[in-house]
Amino acid sequence: MSLTQNQPEAVPVVKPQEKARPRFGTGRSEFVVVAVLYAVAIFLTIGTATMHVQGKSSPGPQFFPIIVCIVLYLVATLLAIQILRSPKVPDNAIHPGRGQFSPDMLHDLGHLGKEGDEVCDDEAAQAPAKTWKTYSDWRTVGMLFAGVVAFVALLEPLGWIISATMLFWTVAYALGSRRRFFDIGVGLLFSSIIQLAFGAGLGLSLPSGLIGGIL
Amino acid sequence: MEQLELLMGGFASALTPINLLWVLIGALLGTAVGVLPGLGSAMAVALLLPVTFSLEPTAAFIMFAGIYFGGLFGDSTSGILLNTPGHSSAIASTFEGHRMAKSGQAAKALVTCAIGAFIGGLIATTLVVFFAPTLVKMATVFGPAEYFALAVFAFLAISAVVSESVIRGIAALGIGLALALVGIDGPSGTARFTVGMPQLFDGISVIVITVGLLALGEVFHIASRIHRDPVATRIETKGRARLNLSDFKKALPAWLRGTAFGAPFGLIPAGGAEVPTFLAYGTEKQLAKRRDDPEFGTTGSIRGLAAPEAAANATAGTAMGALLALGLPTSATAAIMLAAFQQYGMQPGPLLFERSGNLVWALLASLFIGLVILVMINIPFASVWAKLLSIPKHYLYAGITVFSMLGVYAVSSAVLDLWLLIAIGLIGFLMRRYNIPLAPVLIAVILGPMAETELRRALAVSEGDLGILVDSPITVTLYLVLAAALALSAVQHLRHRASRKV
Repeated sequence: MSLTQNQPEAVPVVKPQEKARPRFGTGRSEFVVVAVLYAVAIFLTIGTATMHVQGKSSPGPQFFPIIVCIVLYLVATLLAIQILRSPKVPDNAIHPGRGQFSPDMLHDLGHLGKEGDEVCDDEAAQAPAKTWKTYSDWRTVGMLFAGVVAFVALLEPLGWIISATMLFWTVAYALGSRRRFFDIGVGLLFSSIIQLAFGAGLGLSLPSGLIGGIL
Repeated sequence: MEQLELLMGGFASALTPINLLWVLIGALLGTAVGVLPGLGSAMAVALLLPVTFSLEPTAAFIMFAGIYFGGLFGDSTSGILLNTPGHSSAIASTFEGHRMAKSGQAAKALVTCAIGAFIGGLIATTLVVFFAPTLVKMATVFGPAEYFALAVFAFLAISAVVSESVIRGIAALGIGLALALVGIDGPSGTARFTVGMPQLFDGISVIVITVGLLALGEVFHIASRIHRDPVATRIETKGRARLNLSDFKKALPAWLRGTAFGAPFGLIPAGGAEVPTFLAYGTEKQLAKRRDDPEFGTTGSIRGLAAPEAAANATAGTAMGALLALGLPTSATAAIMLAAFQQYGMQPGPLLFERSGNLVWALLASLFIGLVILVMINIPFASVWAKLLSIPKHYLYAGITVFSMLGVYAVSSAVLDLWLLIAIGLIGFLMRRYNIPLAPVLIAVILGPMAETELRRALAVSEGDLGILVDSPITVTLYLVLAAALALSAVQHLRHRASRKV
């Protein structure tokens, strides 16, 4: 079922030889989300149990966190059960609002019907050029992550202009720009304009770091 | 007509040269983020909030008014030209819009969108001006139990009724409520979940959460797919950017029908314009079938594009009314606007009209001015805006990353906020990867504290008796409507599951 006409072909996430015998982990990577939900719930539980309650109001400050904890445990468990029962291989179908809206519901509201879907398919019929082992491109995500972590760590020692230029360059490089020297210039220009417009113009205090020390 | 007088006062304060400049900047920025896929007005307001702190509130809100509508003016451009809607509010306009573009009427399609957005927004904002005082009067009888019921209604409507998966929607809601709990508890003064860090006593800033989820999370998501997803091909804007009389005659009823679908939905927390746009598209499709319209579904019908486009902006218009008069955000963008008011120390709701009446009417007046400016910069320059789609993605997202760091650092010049931003960005990435909706998190973060305070207040009055929550006709009605909507949505889910198994 599709909602838009130009649907990229679904990219198989498992190698062909693995397809025959799916491992337990296949389509169940969403357990990461279950882990996050449990982690938040456990953090809230410990925090609620060890809270130094001030005042004697009733219901007190622990009342609402307990409700949120119950919701989180419940939802994490239900999600785990759902993933166990029906593993999901990532598809490239459009999820309206990234899960915010049920495609079935929109399909019905829009009277899309079958004929709408047929039109959709003639354009998307290109074979995937390549298959990958994982759905997400962890190399690019990793570069980006390293870039933002380095930026936050270096912002105060190096100052805004240098660290923001580095961040700009890293993100552009990770996302596929190949004009390395040119990008340094673009990044430098961009961060300097921000420093000028928001630092000098609107009065934000940005760390000056090294350059501030030299001047 | 007391409202007209007040509105004129609003126009008087909004029509100064400097404020007009802010509307124009807002409109330009709004259209830009609307045209660029994956960005939206919510993200634009969130990013600009901290850097506009030094402005006076009226100027800031006048600019936000331009951004608010602007995001919906440009949002169909990428759907029409690339056939990949950049926003889910534009999916319904993509069907007929792209067909029109393929048959050489791209420019006409873009103009139809701009006029549709203008008409929808204009009618809806007019409705707000006339009915806001009524809404305010209604809201003054609300007590703690009623406000709690309203919050529960918003929570469940946005996370469970319309979402793809109820479990994932509620999970998002839970994450949002948990984030909102951090900080000093207002009524008792207890520090909650601050792990002993004084920087967290004020809670996690809404700006950190919004920028993390909407901006950095989006950049991570783009990074995970940019080298893999196929590139869409763009259709050049051909054809004359003008509607002739017969086009206009065809489109006008559709614009009005779309507005009629969109306007009521602004008052319902259903997450934005998606439901009404699909309703409007579906209606046009049924009508086309009845009158044997040969264009619909082949070369592209102007009606099928006009209706959803007007519906989207009508929803945004009345959503502003619900936000100002009731303090109820009905979409993610409205939630960020609410956060913006709170940043300036104002609380939307009945009292806002009394305490900051000047600002409210200036804001409403600038919504009108914004619409006029938007239609002026969109109709003649539609194809210029489309050029934004050819900005290299790596520069665009590099710029957004740097700007989100700037925005968050500007909140309180704290490096801790930046670490939180990265953590929340990763959560946003995970949520996108597994199609867990983001809007419930934002609504929960913003309405969570209100829900908690009102619930505790109600229970303190009744000395712990839960009966007080369903003690008035208003609360009973709200819970009944919510239950009916949940039941309907459950039937819908089960029916589709059954038909898929066959």
